[in-house]
Amino acid sequence: MTLSLHSEFSAPDRVVVQVGGRLDAMTFGELDEAMLALLPRLADGGTVVIDLAHLEYVSSAGLRSFAKIRKNMRTRGGHTLLLNPQPQVRKVFDIVKAVPVNEVFASTQELDAYLDRMQRQITEGDDSDI
Amino acid sequence: MALRSIASRTALWVLVGSMVVLAAIGALLLSLTRAQILQHTHHEAAALAANAGSQIQARIDRVAVSAQMLATIVATRQDDAESLLRDTLSTNLDMDGLAAAFTPSPDTADGSMYSPFVRRLDDGSLASRNLSQDSNPYWNSNWFLGGLGCASGCWQRPFLSLSRHRQVINYSVAIEREGHPIGIINADVTLDWLHQILGSLDKPAGAYAFVLDSDGNYLAHDNPALVGKRGSPALLNALASDQAGAMRLRVAQNPRARGPVWVYSAPIEGTRWRLGLVVPEYQTYASVRHIFMLSLALGLLALLGVSLITLLTIRRTMAPLGVLADRAEHVARGELDFELPPARRPDEVGRLTQSFDHMRRELALHLEDLARVAREKQRLASELEIAHQIQLGLLPNAHYLDAVCAQFELHAALRPARAVGGDLYSYFMLDPQRFFVMVGDVSDKGIPAALFMAQTITLAKALAPRAQTPQNLLQLLNLELCRGNDSCMFVTLLCGLLDTGSGDLVLASAGHEPPILCGRGAPQLLEFPTGAVLGLYEDSTYPEQRLRLRPGETLLMYTDGITEASDHELQMYGIERTVESLAQVPPTADTAAYIERLLGDVDHFVADAAQADDITLLALTWHGAGAPPTGIDIDNRLPDVFVALDRCEQLLQEAKVPASLHGDVRLVLEELMVNTVEYGYPDGRPGRIRVLLQSRPGATTIELIDDGIAFDPLQSTAPTLTGDLADREQIGGLGIHLARTMTDEMRYTRDAQGNHLLLRFTYPTQDGSSP
Repeated sequence: MTLSLHSEFSAPDRVVVQVGGRLDAMTFGELDEAMLALLPRLADGGTVVIDLAHLEYVSSAGLRSFAKIRKNMRTRGGHTLLLNPQPQVRKVFDIVKAVPVNEVFASTQELDAYLDRMQRQITEGDDSDI
Repeated sequence: MALRSIASRTALWVLVGSMVVLAAIGALLLSLTRAQILQHTHHEAAALAANAGSQIQARIDRVAVSAQMLATIVATRQDDAESLLRDTLSTNLDMDGLAAAFTPSPDTADGSMYSPFVRRLDDGSLASRNLSQDSNPYWNSNWFLGGLGCASGCWQRPFLSLSRHRQVINYSVAIEREGHPIGIINADVTLDWLHQILGSLDKPAGAYAFVLDSDGNYLAHDNPALVGKRGSPALLNALASDQAGAMRLRVAQNPRARGPVWVYSAPIEGTRWRLGLVVPEYQTYASVRHIFMLSLALGLLALLGVSLITLLTIRRTMAPLGVLADRAEHVARGELDFELPPARRPDEVGRLTQSFDHMRRELALHLEDLARVAREKQRLASELEIAHQIQLGLLPNAHYLDAVCAQFELHAALRPARAVGGDLYSYFMLDPQRFFVMVGDVSDKGIPAALFMAQTITLAKALAPRAQTPQNLLQLLNLELCRGNDSCMFVTLLCGLLDTGSGDLVLASAGHEPPILCGRGAPQLLEFPTGAVLGLYEDSTYPEQRLRLRPGETLLMYTDGITEASDHELQMYGIERTVESLAQVPPTADTAAYIERLLGDVDHFVADAAQADDITLLALTWHGAGAPPTGIDIDNRLPDVFVALDRCEQLLQEAKVPASLHGDVRLVLEELMVNTVEYGYPDGRPGRIRVLLQSRPGATTIELIDDGIAFDPLQSTAPTLTGDLADREQIGGLGIHLARTMTDEMRYTRDAQGNHLLLRFTYPTQDGSSP
């Protein structure tokens, strides 16, 4: 089983990337490349949602890829949110404390609620800290 | 609070005590003095009274004598009566008036008779008149008739002369001619002089005098209000009782005198008057009281002075004590360097100061001694601690798992009763096939036993390759230990040699406790003949005992610390309880369970009684021959790594390893192998990586062998985890951290083949937790 990737812009400033299969030292390059192509298309201050529902396995190479995306987004004032990690992946995240817990969501509903909240703050002109 | 000091209390008590003594002595003195004073006063007053009496008498006598002389003269020269009267009156001032009254004869009844009465006027001149021409004929009046009977003169009653406004008393003498009274000479005597006499008496202060006439009326009194009044019955009774001298009256008649009075009386001769001198009792004692009061005041003053001196003296004497009390508090705080007051005199305080100083110096020495002992003790303790660490270092790990094929497993526990002890265990691979194990117990405890234990364990390891069998090892060890063993220490030792392929076990014992075989049915005590203990008899031999372990069976070796563990009643745990305890362990349990169970039961039995002896337990489980591990060999290239990972996953599936472990195993292998490929060959040379995988019930063991540069993942430092990987500048070390966290056991060795990393994954138990 290898890596599967699927991305979709739900808005000019929001892209949802579905990552499936295995993300390891063999496949992390694919994700890196795809994101390299994808992220410049995203408006500054936008949000990348990485849907991990179908990701079965991640190793430290995959963690590095996620970290790269988060760094990239951060320099552009954007956000990286992780959606629905499976137990094996969640375990790895927990061991290395990969991302802040408030940026990981167990379901689409949770994510939507969070995004709504964020949207409101932006329209109120305060997007500086979430 | 002011009485807190001894000085002020003592001063107060001295004051109070002296006052009591002074008061007692004063009272005694007063009562003695009073009697004396009273007597003295009696004498004085009586003398005074007598003196006053005689003074009055002298005056009266003059009047009486003058009157009597007149009477005699007038008897013959009746016609010269007036001039005689005038002469007499002018010379005798006590007389206020003189009368020569004649009894009327029948021939002179018509009033031609001349009865002259001369009296002194207020201006001192004399006036005269004829009494017989008074409207009331005098010859019928009482004074005249009474006077006729007084041939030798007599005093009449005093009366108030209305014409002269003064108290007057008459003295009458009959004028006799031829034995018959023909008239009387009547002298009016004023009582002023009597008052003057009384007033001029040298009376004590507060005293007063009086003169009583024969009827008990006051003729004269220092208190004029009482003149003419009758004396009080008490006074009259007292005077009548004829206790001339001193009489005590409870109440004086004179309102000027308060309280009881003393009355001194003296009769006035020639009259029936009495002179009295009244001295109030309080006045009698006034002087002594005054002196007493003065003495009392002076005494009090003196006592105050004495108290003050006492206070100052004691305070001065006690001052060093206060300082010493302060210093004692210093001593309590451990401060011994302070000034002491100088010991001025060899008295109690001085001696106390000296003793205090002595105590301070001795205490300092003692403290220094104590500190030295404590340091010594600390040094010993630290040495013992180091010895303890060294001894622990002599023992191999408490857990040993056969790395290559997982055919046997060993758990051991050693609990010294003191910092260091004489129990020992050891094990090692004699060759790739045979595993050597032993448990021993040195006689005695503490440091000697620990040294002997160190010698035994070191010798055993050195001699094992030469001995090859347990009985040979015991014999060789015995010979070595006997050499130079003057202190006659000895050690019991149980040796076993396990053939890891077949489960064949050879045992030999040097006086040690028999081992117990557990795992199939009831635990079985393996009793077999043993040789003598090691270290005492050079010619000892050691019979061997052979048995074959079946897969899953566990051999338990122990020291007498288990069987002789005692509770508070000194009851020993014993071999029966040991066997019973082991029987409770389920057959499927792992090796460590035997140790935990038995130690737990012994602890429960002993409760909080002190551990008397070292305790050692060793459990050896043979898992059976098992299938040989599957090997996967790859080149040091990344794609090969993933080929190997896929192959491993396939093997895990075939061996029915729980699916939840597959991800973990894959992750650990990926991280370690990718790490090896990326960093293990910095020179870029081709290399080989070998994965040996063996799954058996309960756990999967994997050995990773590579010929790259030396790398022990257990020695790499754990990464700092901030909670966000994007914060990290360099994303490295995460893979090794993941691998270490997800492996149940990881062991690293390096030999000629290269790096060996043994990984062990324990299967989750039914409830989902890892064992």
